[in-house]
Amino acid sequence: MARFAAWRLLQAGIAVFGVMTIVFVIMRFSGDPTLLLVPEGASREHVDALRRELGFDRPVIVQYGAYLADLLRLDFGNSVVQRVPAVDIVAGRIPYTLMLAGGALLIAFGVGVPVGVAMAVWRGRAAERLLAAFVLVGQSMPTFLSGILLILVFGVLLGWLPTSGTGGLSSLVLPSVALGAVSMSTFARMARIAVVDELGKDYVRAGRARGLSAGAVVMRHVLRNAAIPVVTIAALEVGNLLAGAVIVETVFAWPGIGQLAIQSIQSRDFLVVQVIVLFVSLVYVLMSLLADLAYAVLDPRIRLHGA
Amino acid sequence: MRALALQGVRGVRTIPAGILLVAVILSVIAAAALLAPLVAPADPSRQALLARLRPPGFANAAGQTFWFGTDDLGRDLLSRVIHGARASLLVALLSVSVSLTVGSMLGMLAAWFRGWVEVAIMRFVDIMLSIPAILLAVLTVAVLGPGFVKLVLVLGLTRWPRYTRVAYAQTLQVASLPFIKAAEIGGAGAGRILLRHVLPNIAGPLLVVATAEFGLMILFEAGLSFLGLGIQPPQPSWGSIMSAGRQYVERAWWITVFPGACLFLLVFSVNVLGDWLRDRLDPRSRSR
Amino acid sequence: MLKRALGIALLAVGLAAAPSSAQVSGQGGGQAKQSFVVDLPNDAATLDPHLQWDTDSYTIYRNLFDNLVTRDGAGKIVPQIATAWRYLDDTTIEFDIRSGVTFHDGSPLTAEDVAFSIRRIVDPALKSPQLSQFDQIVSAEASGPAKVTLKTRTPYPALFPQLVKLSIVPKAAVERLGDQAFNLAPVGSGPYKLLSWQKGVQTALAAHEGYWRGKPPFPSVTFRVVPDVATRVADLRTGRADMVRQLGPDEAAAMKGDGQLQVLSVPTERIGYLFVNALAGPTADVRVRRAIAHAVDRSTLIEALLQGFGNPVNIVLTPANFGYVPEVKGYEFDPAKARALLKEAGAEGAALSFLTSPAYDRRLVEAVQQMLQDVGLKVEIVALDHPTFLRRRQGRPDEAGSLSLGRWSCACQDADGVIFPLFRSGGLWSKYSNPAYDAEVDAARRILDEKGRLGHYRRAFEILREDVPGVGLYQDFAIYAARKEVSWTPTPNEAFFVFDVKWGR
Repeated sequence: MARFAAWRLLQAGIAVFGVMTIVFVIMRFSGDPTLLLVPEGASREHVDALRRELGFDRPVIVQYGAYLADLLRLDFGNSVVQRVPAVDIVAGRIPYTLMLAGGALLIAFGVGVPVGVAMAVWRGRAAERLLAAFVLVGQSMPTFLSGILLILVFGVLLGWLPTSGTGGLSSLVLPSVALGAVSMSTFARMARIAVVDELGKDYVRAGRARGLSAGAVVMRHVLRNAAIPVVTIAALEVGNLLAGAVIVETVFAWPGIGQLAIQSIQSRDFLVVQVIVLFVSLVYVLMSLLADLAYAVLDPRIRLHGA
Repeated sequence: MRALALQGVRGVRTIPAGILLVAVILSVIAAAALLAPLVAPADPSRQALLARLRPPGFANAAGQTFWFGTDDLGRDLLSRVIHGARASLLVALLSVSVSLTVGSMLGMLAAWFRGWVEVAIMRFVDIMLSIPAILLAVLTVAVLGPGFVKLVLVLGLTRWPRYTRVAYAQTLQVASLPFIKAAEIGGAGAGRILLRHVLPNIAGPLLVVATAEFGLMILFEAGLSFLGLGIQPPQPSWGSIMSAGRQYVERAWWITVFPGACLFLLVFSVNVLGDWLRDRLDPRSRSR
Repeated sequence: MLKRALGIALLAVGLAAAPSSAQVSGQGGGQAKQSFVVDLPNDAATLDPHLQWDTDSYTIYRNLFDNLVTRDGAGKIVPQIATAWRYLDDTTIEFDIRSGVTFHDGSPLTAEDVAFSIRRIVDPALKSPQLSQFDQIVSAEASGPAKVTLKTRTPYPALFPQLVKLSIVPKAAVERLGDQAFNLAPVGSGPYKLLSWQKGVQTALAAHEGYWRGKPPFPSVTFRVVPDVATRVADLRTGRADMVRQLGPDEAAAMKGDGQLQVLSVPTERIGYLFVNALAGPTADVRVRRAIAHAVDRSTLIEALLQGFGNPVNIVLTPANFGYVPEVKGYEFDPAKARALLKEAGAEGAALSFLTSPAYDRRLVEAVQQMLQDVGLKVEIVALDHPTFLRRRQGRPDEAGSLSLGRWSCACQDADGVIFPLFRSGGLWSKYSNPAYDAEVDAARRILDEKGRLGHYRRAFEILREDVPGVGLYQDFAIYAARKEVSWTPTPNEAFFVFDVKWGR
């Protein structure tokens, strides 16, 4: 078990390293930020001089080598626009994305799982078809569309919630709903499949035969056993949430790392982009590692003992 | 596959009403996309700077009626929405084709040749799955610039790992079957075996992935165009029309709502149809 | 690092849990306003005044620092930290430095701080992006207890417009903190000092009690980052913000009837123009360029797209800049003449590429494209991201496209900062070469006599009119909006000094 985890960690490390290299090369070949930094009327000599000062005139291989050398000393470099350590800039924005992802996960889980369970328990009834349509709507709505509609209805027409920005807990509601909607349908489907699987098992029929109501069986045993695959999915959904956060943060002007990533790419602030990519791919990799470990734990032999 | 086709021919009457409805919606949108220049009432790029932001139903001095209203340059929104259907469908179709082809090929090669080929390809898959697709798209557009072909390539080349994993697992299963071994002993080359014997047998699960991906690609294209990284104006795309209309959402809601509604209807129909097809093709992944 | 991250996380959670501060605007009669809130489209990139220099950065840091000289309401250059000055010869200027000015940390501002500030911005070690605007300065020395002597390389008439942008920093604090820490915790002598800077969210300032000009109008000022223009307007309506910067013409027009708000706009020194490539492509033929000038309907653009928030201009310069010559005529909107010129040049149906980036108003680009297509040209819009756009536009002539929009301001209110970099051959932006033109603009930047300079510029603009390497479209307006209680007059150089804001009915 420990060897398996160690081997996967090593693979994860290689994956992250590969990602950072690819991103580094792509960014370097897209040009440098010098032209964006100088005032409009700067002369050719000034542009060249600044480019030399900032080190962007060196060949890509040399820049890569210098970057790796700095990484070994855990120096992630300074933002070329803000002249402060890239890590500090990203660290200041991560909490906002975490809040958003947390809110979205809460909504996706808190709405999706009960809906999925209900769909499984009421299988074949009209209520299930209604819920299925609801789930499909959540899956088919692009996040920017739901974001704009939510702003229009709740922010502009009804005036209940703020339209954007970070002015307190109320401004977290709309972005979380927009971001959580798609994941909600994934959770609902997974919960449904898991519960349906459980409901077909012998111990459920045994419990019903003993006189327990469907509800009691569900609450006491089914949910506990269905939790494992659902939690596994949750780990993978975090990755999707981070990706969707880019659009939601743009629509709601939420100052998270998604918005920062787009801004930094547009201003060729390389080192900030590298730190963001490192963080995001670490999260992705760790989450899929968690999911893999959870699958390993789900080994049928262990499950039989536990039931 | 043949069984499904036979069943389909026999069982049209057994298709639920809901599925028929979404099939109709899809056909309407596809027809609009195909016949856009004939169906659209006006030239989608014709500006009328003095008739900007007019509400739906507005009729100008020449008697022309703008059923969806006009956008921020006075262009007919209905025509732009109709032409925008082309972007959505074409990009999704082409990018799914690209990733399906590239992904399945790599998966089959990895499973067939094993050894370092397998390790290299599957580790590459891991790396690709670690990069969030949107960031990769933004980066690539930053380097190569936006544009239709580049958009298709970007979308296609970020999603292929999903097909590779499925193709790999399926090919491993199929490779041990007797008739494959027989073909191998008979002296057939790897390419021939993979194309003529393996591929038809793994096509089912691959198409299952493709149907799920199709709806996602439509959403991706709209999202990237919304961020300004996809189809560039003045070429209409539902995502970029909505992006331009965002700042007018209070005064001219129609610019965001109409393309948004069409986008939703399209993706919803694709998902419903896709779910139903998946139930038929691969009962193990049923959602009902 | 972990502790820092944890601290930031806790701060963020605390922020989220705290109720949003409600602005009670104008209530309570004679009660003084405690906090003034401004919504900006972006965060400051740096608060160190010698580094980044974009509108949002200097909107904030101009309130933290004083400059050597400044402009008054009429645009004239008047004393600020320098009380008087005199030219000792054509390249040497002596400044008298004001006494009684203190920095936020209590230390007095001396001539040594002034000299240090000037030397710091031109020091290559700082890698200041603003270096090119001050590189004519050779040396700056404290030449007495309250005197500073500054030397330039050659006679430099644009020196004072550039000095308007030079802020004074405390030598002791900068040397003690180092550049990086100073950027995060700047110390200046301005009316406000930095309270806190939450990057990407907001910057809070508090009044500097010992400010030499007097008591600042508000005890605290907050600059909030609100990228979405619709949200800025919403904040203004609900009173969460007292003033917002950068409104679009459509939003400003929609606000006109609102009794609680007011639109403040001013024609600036920023010129909106159409660049036309004179060295490559179909536009290398001067007849094609003249046809393009005739094909663009400037007044419709201003009326329909700018909602009147723009003044038409005939040359590539605004009246707010020194060197503006109204006598030089422009090209009238005449599509028939445009078509005739294209026919004469054999350029009907010629394929032009129109480069653009997200920095330029897409509607203007598409409208101009339509106008040119109406006279028979084939115009393809090439959308790039801004760094790539700059690289191509400032690169080889055959890569720079046939057309692009420009919104140029040198923040110096002088023709030298505009038409010299744009059209003098050899410049990064210039895709045009005419030795007669070069001679005129070279001469104009080396003499100090105003009448002589105007003569050179008149001849330069007449040459530009003949050759059309660019078409002046409109003088850009800066559009702000504020609550009705705000009294403030915007200036053409887009400066924002909270000290000049008054609040009250």
